[in-house]
Amino acid sequence: MLLLLLTLAQSPDLFESKIRPVLAASCYSCHSSKMKAPMGGLVLDTKAGLRKAVVPGKPAESRLLAALSYKDADLQMPPSGKLAAPVLESFERWVAAGAVDPRVDTASVTAPLKGMSVEDGRRWWAFQPLRESPAPRLKATAWPRRKIDTYLLAKLQEKKLTPSPRAGARTLVQRAYIDLLGLRATYGEVEAFVNDQSPEAYSKLIDQLLASPHYGEAWGRHWLDVARFAEDNPTSEATNPPYPYAWRYRDWVIEALNRDEPYDRFVKLQLAADLMPDTKRDDLRALGYLGAAPVYHKDQRLSLDVIYTFLTDDWDERVDAVSRGLLGLTVACARCHDHKFDPIPTKDYYGLAGVFASTMRSERPTFEVDPEIETRYQWLDRRLFDLSYSRNTLSGEPTTVIGSEARVALWKEEIAKLRAEAESLRERYPQLVQNLEKYWRDPAPRPVPPPKLPADATGRRRPGASAAPFMNTVFDAAQYVDGSDANYTWITYKAGESRDLPVLLRGSVTSPGEVTPRHFLTVLSTSDPALGPGSGRSMLAQKLFTDGASLAARVIVNRVWGWHFGKPLVATPSDFGTQGDKPTHPELLDDLAARFVQNGWSLKWLHREIMLSAAYQQLSVRRPGGDRIDQSNILLWRMNPQRLGIEAYRDSILRIAGNLNDQVYGLSQDLDLAANHRRTIYGRVGRGGLNGLLKIYDFPDPSQTSPGRDLTITPLQQLFVMNGTFLRAQAQLLAKSLKETEPTAQLKELYRQILSRDPSPKELDLALSYLADGSIDEYAHVLLSTNEVLFRK
Amino acid sequence: MTRRDLLHRFSGGLGLAAALPPARASSAIGHYHGPALTPQAKHVIFLFLAGGPSHVDMFDPKPALLKFQGQRPGAVDLRTERQTGGLLPSSFAFKKYGQSGIEVSELLPQLASVIDEVCVIRSMYTFNPTHTPARSLIHSGSILATRPSLGAWSSYGLGTENNNLPSFVALTPGGNSGPFLRNGFLPAEYQGTPFNETEIEPEKMIANLRNLQLDPAAQRRQLDAVQALNREFSSNFGADDFLEGRIKSMEAAYRMQFEAVDVFDIRKESDATRKEYGNSPFGNGCLLARRLVERGVRYVHVNHNAGQDWDDHKDLDKNLRERCPAMDQAAAALIRDLKQRGLLEETLVVWGGEFGRTPVSESGTGRDHNPYGYTMWMAGGGIKGGVAYGATDDFGFKATENRVSIHDLHATILNQLGIDHTRLTYRYAGRDFRLTDVFGDPVKAIIGA
Repeated sequence: MLLLLLTLAQSPDLFESKIRPVLAASCYSCHSSKMKAPMGGLVLDTKAGLRKAVVPGKPAESRLLAALSYKDADLQMPPSGKLAAPVLESFERWVAAGAVDPRVDTASVTAPLKGMSVEDGRRWWAFQPLRESPAPRLKATAWPRRKIDTYLLAKLQEKKLTPSPRAGARTLVQRAYIDLLGLRATYGEVEAFVNDQSPEAYSKLIDQLLASPHYGEAWGRHWLDVARFAEDNPTSEATNPPYPYAWRYRDWVIEALNRDEPYDRFVKLQLAADLMPDTKRDDLRALGYLGAAPVYHKDQRLSLDVIYTFLTDDWDERVDAVSRGLLGLTVACARCHDHKFDPIPTKDYYGLAGVFASTMRSERPTFEVDPEIETRYQWLDRRLFDLSYSRNTLSGEPTTVIGSEARVALWKEEIAKLRAEAESLRERYPQLVQNLEKYWRDPAPRPVPPPKLPADATGRRRPGASAAPFMNTVFDAAQYVDGSDANYTWITYKAGESRDLPVLLRGSVTSPGEVTPRHFLTVLSTSDPALGPGSGRSMLAQKLFTDGASLAARVIVNRVWGWHFGKPLVATPSDFGTQGDKPTHPELLDDLAARFVQNGWSLKWLHREIMLSAAYQQLSVRRPGGDRIDQSNILLWRMNPQRLGIEAYRDSILRIAGNLNDQVYGLSQDLDLAANHRRTIYGRVGRGGLNGLLKIYDFPDPSQTSPGRDLTITPLQQLFVMNGTFLRAQAQLLAKSLKETEPTAQLKELYRQILSRDPSPKELDLALSYLADGSIDEYAHVLLSTNEVLFRK
Repeated sequence: MTRRDLLHRFSGGLGLAAALPPARASSAIGHYHGPALTPQAKHVIFLFLAGGPSHVDMFDPKPALLKFQGQRPGAVDLRTERQTGGLLPSSFAFKKYGQSGIEVSELLPQLASVIDEVCVIRSMYTFNPTHTPARSLIHSGSILATRPSLGAWSSYGLGTENNNLPSFVALTPGGNSGPFLRNGFLPAEYQGTPFNETEIEPEKMIANLRNLQLDPAAQRRQLDAVQALNREFSSNFGADDFLEGRIKSMEAAYRMQFEAVDVFDIRKESDATRKEYGNSPFGNGCLLARRLVERGVRYVHVNHNAGQDWDDHKDLDKNLRERCPAMDQAAAALIRDLKQRGLLEETLVVWGGEFGRTPVSESGTGRDHNPYGYTMWMAGGGIKGGVAYGATDDFGFKATENRVSIHDLHATILNQLGIDHTRLTYRYAGRDFRLTDVFGDPVKAIIGA
């Protein structure tokens, strides 16, 4: 009997049936040859690796069995819990019988799964220097108006396709208004353009619209999607409260675009305005890009590992926003392992993450302050925030953390000390000190609930935007987690210092590897990649536009192209890596990006170049010939018609009804307030509770950088149109404001107001027959609900 | 845009009707293209008890707590959110119920009476001891606020069975939002549609459901006027996917008003049925959930309460005595009702919170959060009934036997819907993301033949 058992155990069957499945399920996730750094250097998915952990025939000497047995407190595997007794018994039997392992190691098994090497990566199309190219030679044609048309036409001709004719004046003027201002043109604006017979009428229109302050509102909103702008945090708890001054960042974006801030400087200011020598105070608002970034709640009663993990998640968000948003690279994929596809080693990830580990959110005053005092103030604000949060958390709940009272007493002492320091600034900067006073107020006794703020439509209570003279910004400060108190974890900020992070194996804070100096992406670097001094933010901002310039230019040009044409040249605007799509017109993209850079990174230049093209001015109507050869219109044989975004839709309806408050800039307001008639960009944007209207109309999740909106058509949108009070109220206002009294005249007036045109005889008939039983305000509602209002031809 | 892009854009969730004529409105189009597992369940009802219900007082009896009362053996020295004291025995008696003889607390006589339908998983574990991240984990598999929820994944993967209703509904007091609704990086059409379950009248449950100005005939007339102009516009402009899609979507919305007003109205149920569910907000939610799956809604999330009322840091005994009866009655009534109607086989009911509670006391009368080991249960949808799966340690602190992570739970739920969780992906930020990320295995042992 014993012999029989031994024989069975010696056959490969035991390994295949009892051993290998367990190894695969419980061990490979940390001990695999496919990993760059398997835990403890041990691999169990190869014969050679497994042999290192077992001594055939000698269970007592096999480390694998010792670990599985859970007898040694320092060597217990798998960490998730001891395996079942019958499983352990099988392992013992298997080792005792000689640890037969029928596997054959092959190169393919042991070679780690690797993405593109950095050397190969340097040859990737998106990383090549930009090149202008001579316009392609074409069969004789009068069609091209700008250089981009020649590239498009060359491809169309290759496929025996012809472009579409130029759209009519009414279509063009609406297209331009909706695109550049996010507003439909009124009847008067349409007529003015239609009646301008001069050959420069169209280019004059574009110039006029680009000069409008409303341009920045429409294009600022595009940028805010990429910048994942919002005014609070996904959860907005005690340690990650809302950002009351984030609206100042939003205003800065609108202003900067209106003044055509060169794109390179536009981005640099958002990353490092505080570190650039020639920064105006006003431009510090740009730091809201980092200063109002999403962060997670950190309950300091949690362990060092948990808090540290939250911090690394915060840094990761920054790496993701910057790399995908500005460079079209998915660097965050390299957090746990080298990028599986792109030439981005994990070291590069931590090289960038270190910049954000050395950058802390802060509040700065809008007024000038002595720089040294300002730095100290930002540190005081952070430290006092944590101290007062901790004091509040542990006061009134004496049992939750043993020794609370002693701790609270210490913290109160520190608060008093820092208060004394702050008070010394009162004479010179009274507003700074006032802004800190909240921290040394004793907490309200626990049983009294905090005062309730008015709930918005989602039932969430949120404090509003604040007009106090502060900005949500960042400053250079290295962040560390201090776990010296086993029951209470602190984050410390070292102002002016920077921090190089260790590579965290598999992204885990409990497995730190080699420390990696802060550095720029290796594959893009053409100079010393080191990032510094300080946090390295400033150098990072510069390198984006030196070493990374070609890529950064391609990425923004592609986004702008997509916002104009409804479809970008690279279909994955935030992924220019090997998993993204290749450009449909690579020479066109390169040439346009090269000339964009030559023209001083001017976005307004880019708009003009695109909008003056023949391609942009085409009809958007389908043609059987075009559909047959290129149904998706990849080659742009017609303009793409588009559904309006929610901002343009809501704002246009308000404007049509004569009800739009078009004041530029200012505090945010809840969009659900019936009295809110401001443009949608000034509506409050919440990460935790996104406004319901924005939500049903495809507003992107503001907790992450958006590659572009996915425009949908859903019945919930139609319920808003048919049954909601917003359209009805605007319809009633419109009806009330009519000057005409006779039905036909009233209808003509309504058509001009809403659709900026006169009705056809057929439309007039339809309307009149409706009015036999219905009211004029119902009909105003009908017209507001039509596809025509929601559609850019 | 290719035909496939178009379908992708319009299908699933509410968008489907936009692309398909009403005649085909009952087909389900999803984006799961992996191997077709044999689906057991068509619908999921997730009963969510925010705050973390105490497993050692409800489903996981631990006599050792009494024996070692007040003590703090090494095995329970696990760090949770707050400082905890010695072991706190449950004040509730456990008894064996049903053919299966599963032990259930005296707090839950109704659930005990249907325990043979239930698979009690006593070895759940998760990865964070704080509410918000833990809630994000149970709903989306990640603490990141950017990942889609289980409901969004289900709706994305399988599409809808009823184009007049959202495919993913959340019944939530106050119409509250949260990670349970989240579409994250999936398109907006897959987000959960929140209905306020504390209201009884459907039109108060969701904004704009009813036209408060016009009666149905007048509204039809108004819509006809809009559609006449839309068709006129289309004939002038030419064929266009958006223009056609929106015409159909408006019709779908029009129909939805009536279908939703009907299906969301629990007053259409008999008094006896309503009494069976208990007439509490959660009872109404459970009853509504049954009405919704009956009409083809794919995924229904039911929140027990607007807050996190199962978060018993103190006064546990008193709180559970007050809170359990209504919950017990409603959840048990749902199982019985589904069974009676032959819907239990195709409906997977999942019950639980974001974590459990510690066996050690906090503040003497309560328990702290416990992510290391806790209980959830499932019923129907092809899951074996009358099973107690897995176990925690002697005190109920840490899952030790047949451990089931939240990722395993997600993999199991998807598996029951006929989806291989490793193959349900969405390309985002440079890679194919999964609900379970790189984790999770279906718990084979609890899946029925």
